[in-house]
Amino acid sequence: MGKLKETFLNPILKGNPITVLVLGICSALAVTVELKGACVMALSVIVVTGVSSLIASLLRNTIPNRVRIVIQLVIVAMMVILVDQFLKAFAFAIDKQLSVYIGLIITNCIVMGRIEAFALGNKPIPSLVDGLANGLGYGLILIAVAFFRELFGSGTLFGVPVLSALGYTNNGLVILPPMALIILGLIIWAQRSVQKDLQEK
Amino acid sequence: MNTNNNTYTVIYTTVICVLVAAILAFVSQTLKPRQEANEKAETISQILTAAQFADKAELQKMGNAAIIQLFNDNIDGKAEVVSVSELKALNYKLKAGENVPVPTYRFKNGVKVIPIYGAGLWGPVWGYIAVDDADGVRIVGAYFDHESETPGLGGKIKDDPAFRAQFKGEVIDAGNPAKPFDIVKGGSPAGNTEDSKVDAITGATMTSKGLDAAMDVWLGAYVKSLNHGGTK
Repeated sequence: MGKLKETFLNPILKGNPITVLVLGICSALAVTVELKGACVMALSVIVVTGVSSLIASLLRNTIPNRVRIVIQLVIVAMMVILVDQFLKAFAFAIDKQLSVYIGLIITNCIVMGRIEAFALGNKPIPSLVDGLANGLGYGLILIAVAFFRELFGSGTLFGVPVLSALGYTNNGLVILPPMALIILGLIIWAQRSVQKDLQEK
Repeated sequence: MNTNNNTYTVIYTTVICVLVAAILAFVSQTLKPRQEANEKAETISQILTAAQFADKAELQKMGNAAIIQLFNDNIDGKAEVVSVSELKALNYKLKAGENVPVPTYRFKNGVKVIPIYGAGLWGPVWGYIAVDDADGVRIVGAYFDHESETPGLGGKIKDDPAFRAQFKGEVIDAGNPAKPFDIVKGGSPAGNTEDSKVDAITGATMTSKGLDAAMDVWLGAYVKSLNHGGTK
């Protein structure tokens, strides 16, 4: 069980897909303007990374090595479309909110990265845990960045006025993508000053 | 088993692709009626929100059947609901200068709802403008939607109630079918409803411009038909 726990904790702290591996930056910049959107994106990515890692791991001994990327792509794309179709039929309102994000999940490097690096060489259960944990590590950073951007950019949190109620003038720069990169840089800096073993010699 | 020889690779890939395609096709076919019903109810709820019969959030809680009921109770005569993809086809014709009638939903209380459709930054934007012709052409309410505008920026055309609220009471310049309405930077001073202008969204210039162009094309065609005595 100790190993499974490490598989779960590593992607959240020491091997965080965004701050350490620097994957998934594109969507981290795009969907962190609002907290609500970031939470929904985090949840969807957790589901997709988890389940596609599980499927890939179940098939791992049968996948021909030369076309493994194609097969991974097919699995991930299928998962994303299935999630989209079910939401459209049974949770239309949520799907309306998610519309852009759903498509973005396919392009998220973390999903294919974890299948390639972990699921193809490990048993199904650890792969599922690894997928879920990576989605969670990604989601936590996304929510942290979105917290600062929504608070200082729009003066609100989850759409509820916080700073703007105190007479704060919204900072337009925080809304734009460059500020997401700067906030992300600050988070990486903070993490590296605490976890000194992450620093290169 | 050798999983690296050519025959195995080709067969494996084919089987996986056909299998996945079959799963997706099956799921899509099974869920289609539900999805289409949801989409139609969504369109109707947007029209009702624009015409100020209810708020979008309220309608969402009511469920599809109640939304359609509310629509049928208030519509004057019978109206076919024009789907978003049909709006797209109409938009091409309108932009090419063809003289096609703009679909108009007439309600019993005199309010008319006109759809608009155009290109935003990442994908289509559309909406419904409710107008009253009693004293000039005046906007009663508006609702906008989009396919893939950036949330928090262009997405505000749908998510920000303050943006929608600006349209209420604004007059449409019926004498100028080429530019009946403006969504511009700086907008109009609060309370000025006579200048046919509202404030655009900061940080979403392309979306605002796309919406502005869509308003010009569709409302332009509408007021042109009014000037010719067409739709009365």
